[in-house]
Amino acid sequence: MSLAFDDYGRPYIILRDQGQKKRMKGLEAYKSNILAAKAVANTLSSSLGPKGMDKMLVSPDGDVSVTNDGATIVEKMEIQHPTAKLLVELSQSQDAEIGDGTTGVVVLAGKLLEQALTLLDKGIHPLKISDGFDRACDVAIKHLETISEEIDIQANEHEALIQAACTALGSKVVSKRKRELGKIAVTAVLDVADLARRDVNLDLIKIQTKTGGSVEDTRLISGILIDKDMSHPQMPKEVNDARICLLTCPFEPPKPKTKHNINISSAEDYKKLYQQEQQYFVDMVKLVKASGANIALCQWGFDDEANHLLLQNELPAVRWVSGTDVELIAMATGARIIPRFQEITPEKLGKAGCVKEVQFGTSNERMLVIENCQCTKAVTILIRGGSQMIVDEAKRSIHDAICVIRNLIKDNRIVYGGGSAELACAIQVLQYADEVSSVEQYAIRSFADALEGIPCCLADNCGLNPITSVAQAKSRQLKENNPRIGIDCMELGTTDMKEQRIYETLSSKKQQIQLATQVVKMILKIDDVIAPDDY
Amino acid sequence: MSQFLQPTILLLREGTDTSQGRAQIVSNINAVQAVADVVKSTLGPRGMDKMIQTGPKVTISNDGATILNLLEVVHPAARVLVDIAKSQDDEVGDGTTSTTLLAAELLKEAKPFIEEGIHPQIVIQGYRKALELALEKLEGFSINISKDSIESKRDTLIKCAQTALNSKLLANTKQFFSELVVSAVEKLDPNILDRDLIGIKNVTGGNITDSFLVDGVAFKKTFSYAGFEQQPKRFENPKICLLNLELELKSEKENAEIRIEKPEEYQSIVDAEWALIYEKLEIIVKAGAQIVLSKLPIGDLATQYFADRNIFCAGRVAQEDLLRVQKATGGQVQTTVNGLNPETFGTCGLFEEVQVGAERYNLFKNCPQSRTATIVLRGGAEQFIQEAERSLNDAIMIVRRCFKANKIVAGGGAIELEISRFLRHYARSVTGKTQYIVNSFAKALEVIPRTIAENAGLNSIEIMNKLRQKHAQGGEEGRWYGVDINGASGVCDTHQSFVWEPTLVKRNALCSATEAACAILSIDETVKNPKSDQDTKMKPKGQPGRPPMGMRR
Repeated sequence: MSLAFDDYGRPYIILRDQGQKKRMKGLEAYKSNILAAKAVANTLSSSLGPKGMDKMLVSPDGDVSVTNDGATIVEKMEIQHPTAKLLVELSQSQDAEIGDGTTGVVVLAGKLLEQALTLLDKGIHPLKISDGFDRACDVAIKHLETISEEIDIQANEHEALIQAACTALGSKVVSKRKRELGKIAVTAVLDVADLARRDVNLDLIKIQTKTGGSVEDTRLISGILIDKDMSHPQMPKEVNDARICLLTCPFEPPKPKTKHNINISSAEDYKKLYQQEQQYFVDMVKLVKASGANIALCQWGFDDEANHLLLQNELPAVRWVSGTDVELIAMATGARIIPRFQEITPEKLGKAGCVKEVQFGTSNERMLVIENCQCTKAVTILIRGGSQMIVDEAKRSIHDAICVIRNLIKDNRIVYGGGSAELACAIQVLQYADEVSSVEQYAIRSFADALEGIPCCLADNCGLNPITSVAQAKSRQLKENNPRIGIDCMELGTTDMKEQRIYETLSSKKQQIQLATQVVKMILKIDDVIAPDDY
Repeated sequence: MSQFLQPTILLLREGTDTSQGRAQIVSNINAVQAVADVVKSTLGPRGMDKMIQTGPKVTISNDGATILNLLEVVHPAARVLVDIAKSQDDEVGDGTTSTTLLAAELLKEAKPFIEEGIHPQIVIQGYRKALELALEKLEGFSINISKDSIESKRDTLIKCAQTALNSKLLANTKQFFSELVVSAVEKLDPNILDRDLIGIKNVTGGNITDSFLVDGVAFKKTFSYAGFEQQPKRFENPKICLLNLELELKSEKENAEIRIEKPEEYQSIVDAEWALIYEKLEIIVKAGAQIVLSKLPIGDLATQYFADRNIFCAGRVAQEDLLRVQKATGGQVQTTVNGLNPETFGTCGLFEEVQVGAERYNLFKNCPQSRTATIVLRGGAEQFIQEAERSLNDAIMIVRRCFKANKIVAGGGAIELEISRFLRHYARSVTGKTQYIVNSFAKALEVIPRTIAENAGLNSIEIMNKLRQKHAQGGEEGRWYGVDINGASGVCDTHQSFVWEPTLVKRNALCSATEAACAILSIDETVKNPKSDQDTKMKPKGQPGRPPMGMRR
């Protein structure tokens, strides 16, 4: 990158490592940025919609994942290009805020950039384009709100929620079982939801995966499932009316934290020490028993001697329970976490209807289920599936569905999917464009075209002719003044998305359009790229 | 001279690069131009952003000082520009691009004089004289707002913040953010206006208008141990205990060793350690604290102990956050719990933990001593929020300055043109070379409106003509005409369209630009030492992360 020459034509060194830096300015910079971002969007566009395809991603360590989730795909692609990275972050922030629609947001951003490119070629100032996009975005958002419908989430056994969850699951590998999984997700969310505050703490829903069985075996446990078993094989496999003692101290003689050593000078002393150690175990078990506990869960381990003693005293116990599990169990059973044996009191015990060990398949793996907890505010979804890849993808899909349901509980307004909402907005934006007298008119019109790109892409992915189907849907929307006409992806014979029951949350759609516009504006504002030469 | 076979006198080390004389000044000026060209397109409401990649980090910015800093300028004369941009940033916080441009333009105007053989010192004198007059006029033209009522003053501050945000990514939401910024600054102690007491926290996700102002302190949930979730997450008027103390079961002294002679003593040692930590916890609970914050870790034992007693705790709170909590709640940070006095506890109207995007935040609201505020920024991408933060920083600095200085001028190039008009007029009344030089100074000032117009894609020559004509009419009427990027005519009264800037920004920009120009003009020789050997050896290491493939061969 040379910036200046003196009178003799010798270049100045103005910047450090000037020779190794590259600079792109003006149109060249816009184009390179837009093309890079578009490349990312193109990769994702085939994943959109109910017939969208999956991507197989191999990590540097050779781990394979197969997924349809936009945020996961772009995250695992390990994109280097700085502008393309913006799209990755875009997808992730949609994931963090809404949890669903991560593919759609990137595809929309890609379509907008594509339109911006043609506008730039026409010689329109990039900021005029971004101003136009901004105004169009406002119009689209307003229109979305007018066409949105409030749904009654309580009605008909939460039918609306289940439908919305089904829409979210429709594009995933588990779509065959979407109704069952949707129901599970809805029940899970409703179990932990605070309907008065319209808030759902997703930390309370634990999603546990286990390979084996099939996706149909996925079920909801109204309690907690931990991937642990009883410390001794002869302990009872089921404890009814459990009073749980949660310990964060090991079943071992306590150790001082300060460095210490014990000098033993005689055989008697040694014996005494041994006896004392034994006494510790006896005392510990006694203390636990005395409190009335009939099962002990311990964050740490305990040695075989203690294990044996616990068995003798008929006190089932579980060791090495992870910290987060301990916390979850504490919340669910109303237990207090006990850091020291001396502090065990009956009030600190948690209560649960049943603690039992369950076994899966023919493998010797067992898990512990804690059911009917006293303050049942935590649930677990146990996902089964043929292979690790399937359960991982199912986990991501259910997460999406859960997020959709949460958003509906927060804000019960919906729009209809299948590209109908985008089409309706596009029509509205197009109308608005004609009222604008300045250069922005072109940008606004292009925004409408970009919005139409979503149903186009949907149709394309379903093997329909994108142009004809979008044109038909659009003309019917206008003729019948019905914003619910979309693309009939599933070939059910109707294009009215209300009949097809394709529900999407208003908040997700709104967020998609806003975030995509925001990132596109940012990319359009860059007119100068200074980077190392190999960029 | 060599034909006289005079011995060559080696004054400097071999390889030293010296250049001197007029050519040196001209080449310095060229270098400065080149650097100014980089930031030129960022000026004004239609200014563009730069994307700069340094190593793995990518920065997208519109802020002149940030860009110049990231460019890593090494040319000695061009570095002067980087320095003035930085000083403008430190002193005023905004107007860094215009300062750089003005300095470069002054030098450009000086170049023909130097080439024609006018002594640089005469140019410098002329510039200094012109600056003096310009500053005088600037004061004269500026509008005093100190007598205005509180509401209209707040209004003025908002207008100034909006002007600062005009060229940034946030331009479309400037209304929203300018109010946010002004409310944040109003929270501060009006006598000190300590910038550090306005915290800005970034949370990716959500829309930019989801950003909000916390009237108090907000910080991200710290690392927590099991049991934390069982603590209450909401208090009204809590007693807040601030500590710089570790609350963990651990060895008290690093290298201490205990020798136990009798097995019976074993238990007593264990008990003693537990007693130590329990004693500390008990004191805190007895003193009536409801929220315990510590700079150092709070262990799992303490977390559960507090959870049992309905106390909220957070360990590893960042130093700056703790300080701001201290300021906001009126508490005092304690380094020991011995003799803990409830009077050192702070309080606030409402404490709660809330979910912001994917993060949990601790909010301390309605603080009694509230001399601090926190802005929580939301937005799509990491870089977006970072740039938003820089923009808000500019706006905060401007509002702070305005709060103190009470004087404003109209932006959009209006004030520059008005000063320029005056200087041109004045130039005619002086004799000698100074006449030309003052005239050049006046011409250089026009770079600001011209660049704004150019960046907006307007016809800058036409606009400049219109503006000169308006200003030449004189009097109050044409005084505040500046570039209008929205209207059809391209010019408007920027005072009426509320493009306002504190006088201080302009004053500082004029001063430092002139000083920088004079400094560069007065250099007539550069002696550049060759790089020391150590330096060349270091060089391969200068590019971390690259495989050393190209170096073998």
